[in-house]
Amino acid sequence: MRPLRPASLAAPVLGILLALVPLVAGRNITLLNLGFFTFLYVAQGLAWNILGGYAGYVSFGYAAFFGLGAYTTALLWLAGWPPVLTYPVAGLVAAAFSLVVGGPTLRLVGPYFSIATIGVGEAMRILMLNLDRITGGASGLNLPTTVPSKTWFYYAALVFAALAFGVAAWVRGSRFGLGLAALRMDQEAAESLGVRTAVFKNLAHVTSAVLVGACGGLYATYLQYVHPDTVFSFTESISLVLIALIGGLGTLWGPILGAGVFYAVQDYLQTSYPTFHLLAYGVLLIFILLFEPKGLAGLVGRAWRRTRGGAPPPRAAAGAGVEMAGPGRPGAGGPA
Amino acid sequence: MFTAQNLLSVGVAALLTAGLYAVMSYGLAIIYGVMKVINLSNAGFLMLGAFMTLVYFQAWHLDPLAGAFVNLPVFFVAGWLVYRGLVRRVMTSLPLASLLMLFALWLVLQNLALAIWGADDQSIITAYTYKALSVFGFRIPVTRLLVFGVALLVLGILHYVLGHTYVGKALRATVQDPQASLLVGIDTDRISAVAFGLGTAFAGFAGSLLTLLFSFTPDFGGAFQLKSFTIIVLGGLENFAGVTVGAAILAFVESFAVLFMKASLQNVIAYALLVIVLIVMPGGVAQLWSRNRS
Amino acid sequence: MSAALVLDHVTKRFGGLVAVHDVAVEIAAGQITGLIGPNGAGKTTLFRMISGGTRPSAGRVLFQGREITGWSPHAVCRGGLCGTYQLVRPFPDLTVLENVTVGAAFGGSGRLGGRTPRAEAEEVLEFTGLAARRDVPASALTLAQRKRLEVARALATRPSVLLLDEVLAGLTPAESQQAVALVRRIRDRGVTIVMIEHVMRAVMDLSDRVLVLNYGRLIADGPPAVVTSDPQVIEAYLGPRLEDP
Repeated sequence: MRPLRPASLAAPVLGILLALVPLVAGRNITLLNLGFFTFLYVAQGLAWNILGGYAGYVSFGYAAFFGLGAYTTALLWLAGWPPVLTYPVAGLVAAAFSLVVGGPTLRLVGPYFSIATIGVGEAMRILMLNLDRITGGASGLNLPTTVPSKTWFYYAALVFAALAFGVAAWVRGSRFGLGLAALRMDQEAAESLGVRTAVFKNLAHVTSAVLVGACGGLYATYLQYVHPDTVFSFTESISLVLIALIGGLGTLWGPILGAGVFYAVQDYLQTSYPTFHLLAYGVLLIFILLFEPKGLAGLVGRAWRRTRGGAPPPRAAAGAGVEMAGPGRPGAGGPA
Repeated sequence: MFTAQNLLSVGVAALLTAGLYAVMSYGLAIIYGVMKVINLSNAGFLMLGAFMTLVYFQAWHLDPLAGAFVNLPVFFVAGWLVYRGLVRRVMTSLPLASLLMLFALWLVLQNLALAIWGADDQSIITAYTYKALSVFGFRIPVTRLLVFGVALLVLGILHYVLGHTYVGKALRATVQDPQASLLVGIDTDRISAVAFGLGTAFAGFAGSLLTLLFSFTPDFGGAFQLKSFTIIVLGGLENFAGVTVGAAILAFVESFAVLFMKASLQNVIAYALLVIVLIVMPGGVAQLWSRNRS
Repeated sequence: MSAALVLDHVTKRFGGLVAVHDVAVEIAAGQITGLIGPNGAGKTTLFRMISGGTRPSAGRVLFQGREITGWSPHAVCRGGLCGTYQLVRPFPDLTVLENVTVGAAFGGSGRLGGRTPRAEAEEVLEFTGLAARRDVPASALTLAQRKRLEVARALATRPSVLLLDEVLAGLTPAESQQAVALVRRIRDRGVTIVMIEHVMRAVMDLSDRVLVLNYGRLIADGPPAVVTSDPQVIEAYLGPRLEDP
């Protein structure tokens, strides 16, 4: 549909370089950890962006998918499944939930959808906390200790990130992506031109949920422990929102840039309590909303254009920045 | 379990809670009504209100109730500044931008509080924290009565202001029709600043009241905020009187639900109600009311 | 000539207000039918009931013999009936070409006769004279260009029936002339057109038949010259005759 921009050919190159890192850096655990978590955030950020950036529905409740994926893997693993086989199932479980929840909530207009997702995410966490027979409740679940090496996890996460990138890039260039962009900018107009907005919104939701669910499963394997307050936490949900917004909502590279620094900053700023990095990100987000809605990707784009000596600005990307249509009523724009 | 005595006492508890919920939610309702902005930083100011009260208490032995009234002007100014400095600049973009801006502000406030006060539970113990009064045969904690009384007082003042002062009428006019308000000479920018200031003031005020009833951490604003949303959606998003109705509904549903389910699941009720009402009845109770009239 | 569109006693009530009252009319295929009436007469509401934005309170809408009452807008569009908006709604951050491609790729899906949506879009851009602007973001267009884009988008869905809602509003005389010529060219392609218009000259020039709506009721139906001298129509626009002193 729309030709892939030349810049996205940089992605495979980057991927290969990253794959070579463990061979060069040896068994540096810190580096492997950094890689694992960063790639996991990249994957989730890219996935989230499909609904949040391309379709324009900002969800604050993706921890529900992450958590469901984590617990699916945990329970299947405890039942004897090899973890790798559980990842697709984890994704599917998250996808199924996204249909159940998305069906009704995606009919709400932008801000109301966002509020509803906060409710859904938190409700899931509390429910899971209370279902202690299944989830281990407040003590969590301990998982088997025979796990692959950190190097394996590094590559597994890299594969997930690559997969998510592939999906995101494909969506952007496809008819599906065009439809999402149209419905993001003006849902009623898109509908009147033949775009099945309800189907597309839910499809975007499901696609991103599958990826995030699978990531949850990988995370559970890595940590060998799941607890509702970690995998279903609001912090997890807002991390994805921040990654995409700071990186550049709706851009292809935005989540990569956002996630690229996210974990590193989080790790670096770890002081006496674990969420200090959120303060930095909150401030950063304020600046971005005031000055550069296209986030880091926008800044990079501007710098790039300047070095190329005033090349014409790129074609309007399908989904750049915080620009979404939304009248002031919760109900979606439908029959008056 | 379901004796009349029990049910009545639950009912009384619900009523008292409703007063608190109403005060907590009015701030949100005013800001939404006037500016059509969903103020996610409400939770942050709620929490800050509580912590400021703690500061007053620790530094000057100021009773939380007095602290609540001190917070009113302080938080009004804070809200005014937030509107002028942050919100106004993104309001020309579309609704989601302001939502995200206020979300970012919430993050900042919450984590600042964590940095300053840490994550420990805080509570304010006064001479009357553990006292209870016998009212018509029910033992009611003094704190609950005080909170309810103060809430009623403030709601009464708000009602007067909305109904009988220029500012109040201008606020209501802007809620009903921003364009017409402009035409009749109302400075909607100023009114928005007032609304945001008022909304923040209410949040700070409610936060103080909450310290009388609960212990608090920097995280505690979130659950209350969602309940506030549920309340204003239940009541009908642009209907001020509806907030009281919504507060009552939620308080009663929550209180009576405890008879059937685990207390730890109580918040799920608010969340579930929020999602359900948004989808099924977005105009809230007010929608039912207007449908009956036509 | 067969009826492309049939409105069978279509009514719309909003609470106590009857916006459209019992409109029954058959639109012939291949013609240009004008829909006129004072402001608030219910014209746009009528359009919305046809295109799926609003559900009729009573009555049926038939398109090429099939009942489409209550169909969702995307289904109606895919079926071959497309409308434009009175206040134009381009996709602001998409280019002109991308805007039109949306129409071709979705509304026209399956009916492009083997052409890719993009190729169809390019052809429509040529036809409507927007080809020079194909890579410009829609937000950078003038009003006249946006109106043309609106029409082009709808045209890319390969409609059998096109509903045009005040495409001439806000245009200068020169721009209006071009727009009128475009409408004729579209009709010559075989598309049935129903157009809401206030610019009387255009209505007289273009329409084969004129329908007049007033307070939701159809008060006149016939060739332009006849309708515009109908005393009821004149009264609807100008009010009752003053009594002689």
